[in-house]
Amino acid sequence: MINLILLFPLLACLILFIFKKKFLNNLMVNLYAIIHFVVSLALCFNMDFLPAWSGNKFFAVDDTNKIFLIAMSVVFLAVAIYNNGYLKNNEELTRKIRHYTYMMLFFVFSMTGAVLSTNLGITWVFIEGTTLASAYLIYFHKTKHSIEAAWKYVFICSIGIALAFVGIILLTIATGNLNTLFYNDLYNNAQLFNPFWLKLSFVFILFGIGTKMGLAPVHFWLPDAHAEAPSPISALLSATLLNSAFLMILNVFRITVFAGCDGYARIMLLVMGFLSLFITAVFVYHINNYKRMLAYSSIENMGILAIGTALGGIGMLAAMIHLVGHSLIKASFFLTSGNILELYGTKKIKSVTGLLKTDRKTGWLWIISFLGISAFPPSVLFISEFLMIKSMFMKNHFILCGLFLLLLTIIIYGLGKAVIKMTFSEKTEDISPKDFGWNMYLPQILMLAAAFITGIYMPQGFTKMILAAVAGF
Amino acid sequence: MENIFIILLGLSMIYIAATSRLAAHVNMLIAQGWLLFFVCLTGFAKEPWFNWTMISGPASIAANMPHIIGFLFVIVETLIVKAFVIPLFLKKVVKKTGAHRDTDANIPHFYCLFISSVILFAGILIANIDAPQFKLVDSMYFGVSIAVIITSLWLITIKHKVLSNVIGFITMENGIFLLSLSVAKEMPIIVNLGVLLDIFIAVFILGMLVKEINNEFEDLEVSQLSDLKDYEYND
Repeated sequence: MINLILLFPLLACLILFIFKKKFLNNLMVNLYAIIHFVVSLALCFNMDFLPAWSGNKFFAVDDTNKIFLIAMSVVFLAVAIYNNGYLKNNEELTRKIRHYTYMMLFFVFSMTGAVLSTNLGITWVFIEGTTLASAYLIYFHKTKHSIEAAWKYVFICSIGIALAFVGIILLTIATGNLNTLFYNDLYNNAQLFNPFWLKLSFVFILFGIGTKMGLAPVHFWLPDAHAEAPSPISALLSATLLNSAFLMILNVFRITVFAGCDGYARIMLLVMGFLSLFITAVFVYHINNYKRMLAYSSIENMGILAIGTALGGIGMLAAMIHLVGHSLIKASFFLTSGNILELYGTKKIKSVTGLLKTDRKTGWLWIISFLGISAFPPSVLFISEFLMIKSMFMKNHFILCGLFLLLLTIIIYGLGKAVIKMTFSEKTEDISPKDFGWNMYLPQILMLAAAFITGIYMPQGFTKMILAAVAGF
Repeated sequence: MENIFIILLGLSMIYIAATSRLAAHVNMLIAQGWLLFFVCLTGFAKEPWFNWTMISGPASIAANMPHIIGFLFVIVETLIVKAFVIPLFLKKVVKKTGAHRDTDANIPHFYCLFISSVILFAGILIANIDAPQFKLVDSMYFGVSIAVIITSLWLITIKHKVLSNVIGFITMENGIFLLSLSVAKEMPIIVNLGVLLDIFIAVFILGMLVKEINNEFEDLEVSQLSDLKDYEYND
């Protein structure tokens, strides 16, 4: 069944290439989203209804990547639904729909490949593939700014990922006589590895793939790319791409845990995590572009994931819950920003006034997304951040905990200032409301509902899945 | 024997650092492709199976199939992609954009020459460190490849033209290729193929973007690409 989600996008591209019909484009994206969702659900609950299609040693689901896969497919489904409405309101998009569709399919395909792969080398190939596939999507509007963003994105990420490849080569040096890059073999033999080369390789992989994940100080492409891409793509970038890069770091981190030299790796993750929070706190305070603001918030949340991983134990559990919650809420935040951009035609915070009076639904979605991302209970992020603070207390990291809370408060203030100004202020310009149709509201509503309901009641299956994912850290 | 080629590769980086003509940089990329091919070839020449009997008849071809595929792959990677397709593409980009020189680098060329020599020297020093960890790698490959990677990264930061950055990226990839040769282990062919494809497409996309930058902006300078900021920002 894994083969189905990996082969379908390629098949879809072939069909689109042969039959150059316009209506097929959107249909294929929707179809892939549905297939992705159904197959991911089935894989996560071990219901393989197509056993003949899963014979491949390079791709498999395991306890950890299940969470990433399910988060990705939910977000992709939401983005696909939103996309239907977005296309109707966007003439430029309709004209260039073919390239947009090809690249979107390739983008999701490469992210899925990166998440499902069981081999470090293959993961690398797919992570670089995501860069290449999404480059066009960022460059889509073909303005000066989008060229600049795409250039920075491809160049910085390619260099980062090339350095990660150096890390992989150093890892093969560390493995000694073992000639394999399959994660399971690496985990099983980790104790025999040379610690010097293993530590060195972790540094390279953390910095290299950390570039892709958006950890400070190697995050520079992220605000530009997220701000310039069309909003559905920003949602995909923030809510799924960063996660798939995080999974690769997590897998390599697990090798260091098994090899017994994780103390060093944890410190590095902790430093990068706090640096990400710090950078966000500094920049978000004076920000004047709301899409950049959301991008910085992604950097912050990736930092929180890194901190949780570094803490281990309950912190790791919190990181996994945070990952799912962040994906849902941030995707809805970015999709709502697409609505605002359609209404006002500007990304400037200053120029957006009286959002609640212009479009009530969009305004409330914007506010609720903000409440979700700032971990306002009952948002699921409240639980994850609470657990993370608890974990810091249990380990007697009181100063770190204070710093963590301080930085988060500054960030919430920065975000809140902008969101409240945009929504509750008086209307200064006469902006006519647009009729967006249900599919530009429903995905956000569903994702936010999921994020807030899991904050109150976490289903047994979900808890079990998360506990299984963090076993061994 | 292969040490000669490896050191020549290190020296080619010094030449790239010291010259400002982009055409010369592209020619050096061709030279690096050939040098990497020779390095691989001398590696293959040491293998017992590597001789003409390998392809003397259908039976021996079938027996040596994995070796032959590996060898053909190296030819494709070094000679066709690194020494032919990428430089040809870059030459076209240079011609189309009319950017022939990368003058006014942040550091004068004489200092570039000096600094890149120091980096190469440091690389060769690394190659001669007598520590147990370094027994795991072929030291000459390791030292020079580290020097090539560091020089490339450094050149990316000091050069002004976007095309020079692309060239720096490719020389860095060459350095990484050399580094992967320092480990006497083979990655699965599917990984190698994927890596090659990714790098090729990355260079292609970067080249296309250079053309777009040339159309949209007045100049191919990196400093033009600094409009996206957090504070005074117009969009």
